[in-house]
Amino acid sequence: MLRSVVASRTGTVSVAVLVFVALLAVAGPWLAPHDPLLQDPQAILAGASAEHWLGTDNLGRDVASRLLAGSTLSLVAALEAVAVGLVLGVVPALLSVHLGRAVEWLSLRLMEALVTLPFLVFAVAMTALLGNGLQQAMLAVGVLVAPGFYRVTRAAALPVATAQYVEAAVLAGASPWTVLRRHVWPKVVPAVAVSTASLLGASLVIVSSLTFLGIGITPPTPTWGGMLATDLQYLFQRPFGPFVPAVLIVATVWACNGIADALRDAPALSAERKVAAHVG
Amino acid sequence: MSRPRTLLRLAAVVAAAAVALTACGGGAGSASGATLRWGFALPTSWDPVTSSTGNDINTISLVYASLTQLDEKATAVPGLAESWKYNADGTAVTFTLRPNLTFTDGTPLNADAVKQSLLRGKTQQNSLLKDQLATIKDITVAGDRDVTLVLAAPDYQVPNLLAGKTGAIVSPTAFTEDAAAIPTAPVGAGPFKFESFVPESKAVLVKNPGYWDAADVKIDRLELTPTTDAATVIAAVQSGALDVSYIPGNQIPQAKAAGLEVDVIDSLQVNQVDVHSGLAPLTDRRVVDALKYAVDRQQIIDVVNAGVGDVVYQPFPKGYVAFDPSLDTAFAYDPAKARQLLADAGYAPGQLALTVTVNSISQSTAELVQQQLQAVGVNATIKVVPPGSSTWQQEVYLGRKAQFALDGTVGRESPVQNLTVVYGPEGLMNTSKVSTPEFLAALDAVRRTPLDSPDYPRVLQAAVRTGVEMSPSFSLGTQPRVVVRNKKVSPLPHFLSQYRWEGVTVGSTT
Repeated sequence: MLRSVVASRTGTVSVAVLVFVALLAVAGPWLAPHDPLLQDPQAILAGASAEHWLGTDNLGRDVASRLLAGSTLSLVAALEAVAVGLVLGVVPALLSVHLGRAVEWLSLRLMEALVTLPFLVFAVAMTALLGNGLQQAMLAVGVLVAPGFYRVTRAAALPVATAQYVEAAVLAGASPWTVLRRHVWPKVVPAVAVSTASLLGASLVIVSSLTFLGIGITPPTPTWGGMLATDLQYLFQRPFGPFVPAVLIVATVWACNGIADALRDAPALSAERKVAAHVG
Repeated sequence: MSRPRTLLRLAAVVAAAAVALTACGGGAGSASGATLRWGFALPTSWDPVTSSTGNDINTISLVYASLTQLDEKATAVPGLAESWKYNADGTAVTFTLRPNLTFTDGTPLNADAVKQSLLRGKTQQNSLLKDQLATIKDITVAGDRDVTLVLAAPDYQVPNLLAGKTGAIVSPTAFTEDAAAIPTAPVGAGPFKFESFVPESKAVLVKNPGYWDAADVKIDRLELTPTTDAATVIAAVQSGALDVSYIPGNQIPQAKAAGLEVDVIDSLQVNQVDVHSGLAPLTDRRVVDALKYAVDRQQIIDVVNAGVGDVVYQPFPKGYVAFDPSLDTAFAYDPAKARQLLADAGYAPGQLALTVTVNSISQSTAELVQQQLQAVGVNATIKVVPPGSSTWQQEVYLGRKAQFALDGTVGRESPVQNLTVVYGPEGLMNTSKVSTPEFLAALDAVRRTPLDSPDYPRVLQAAVRTGVEMSPSFSLGTQPRVVVRNKKVSPLPHFLSQYRWEGVTVGSTT
């Protein structure tokens, strides 16, 4: 699958960007030149220097170190949301195809209900209910991206489930689990992979929006969205302050979407989807 | 052919006349139909009886007039009452109202209306003015204009006390019909009449021509909107979405660079930490004292407010009559002493955990304090109270859930009232609700001292000293009002106690 993605120029660049951001997130604690929480009231809003590569913020903290620490939190939070969405979307979608009309009806109504909920309001309500933490906020976001996974998975699984070779397998005594694992899942994976990449970008935007608003984080925890919000208050002193977190957010979201596009357009995967559609 | 030409000439004459009339209309310095858009905070309630924060006086006083008001130096001067007189022993004070006063609903504002309004504050079940009005034992009326307040004990603070929301007079017709409607549909006799209100969003007020000082009000329409994000204030004023608002001190250079006017106005506002000594581990006085020495107040002023403000260790600014110079170094920053006090209380570095509660616009202060506490071995976590007109009240004042809340008093009209709010047994900001007999006796002594007595400053400052030494809460520094305004708005008058709009004009050019 990776080979298919990097076959295109967009896919190659997207993977490179994502790998770079992932490296920042993983190696951030080691790369950071300073403690991201350490304040220096004698050096507030300082410009870039050898000591502080990207300057300091309103409390004299090293911006580069905070960005690195923020990378980890922002990415992990977005991954968490997507993981929750995958479990809550893909599993009910597969079950709705194979466990009869009652499960199908119930899961469809549930997903339709979730689609009606506004992202930010629901996330704010969840953090008010469960406490102002990133885990709680990401649980909320995960619940709300689940319908996206559900619809895509179900659309991919339905034609396969009624294919003749699947019916033959059932008649030959294959269990539902075997049918799912051997015949349905491989056909569903490409579609789920495209959605995962696409919704990872969307989740990152939501994470950044929430942390921009101060939801889901406890100060002084650094996140890209939170840093953006703080920097915007000091535009006069540090005009380029919001630039770096904004670029990181935009680049990561663009890379996720680029990978989604590349996956969608990858010849091998397109062929898989066409076969699935044809069989249906 | 000649008819259209005649019509055209007529239209030109009418247009020219309209332009000329418009130009003449602004003779008083403000363009006719002058609208001022003020970015501030909506009150927790438009009813002075249920308003739950002192800051509300800035907005409530738009709608209500009080019996007295404060001048620039925070001295009581006539308001609805043109004069007042105490009896010989200070147990009764008679206010004489100005003639022919009316509320904006047309109800006559006479002595009986004043009596009913004050009695509501004393008796309504959910009144938050009961404490302050407890000094009034009885109210008698003589004729239309004289109302006498019979006091429970000698109290020379009453004219000051009644200069704020405690003395804001509400139309009896309105609250008799539906008292529950007053918080969202107030009826008073202030400089403006309430026109519309969208909770958490906007209030629109229009000039009240019946206000006793209407000649000094040059604004015809005032639109009040809450500002929750300091980052957008300057842009909002620059774009004309707002005409006047307030900014943190560190945004002064940005506002000036944007071509806006900035006024730094001294105020009675003092930032403080509300410490709840009823919540462990703050039940140990040594821990509380350690926190007082652990906070570097000057650093907060320098870093968060760009040096605007002064360090004070009491809830009054320098120069005000209640300010006690002997408290100048009361809890001066001393981390070594803080560490020693914590050790005496049995806490090794890192053992003590604390939650710092803060509102959403003061997070930087909280982060700074967090590091200062960490330097003396206290592990602090920050809890941010979300924005909203009543969220802070629910969390800190009424809910009393905060151990260590970064707060501030905007001051009160009477220094005794301010001391009561900050240190009194039922004071909103005294989240511990603990007070000593010595403090209450000192307050009583202040009440019994006439304001023009040479002893007054000494007695008052002694009460301040007692309160500061008794209270687990502690002051941080003064917070002058940093007002940013569009050039079309004339400078605001410098009142210590609150925002006032008398004489402020709004021109037609930016």
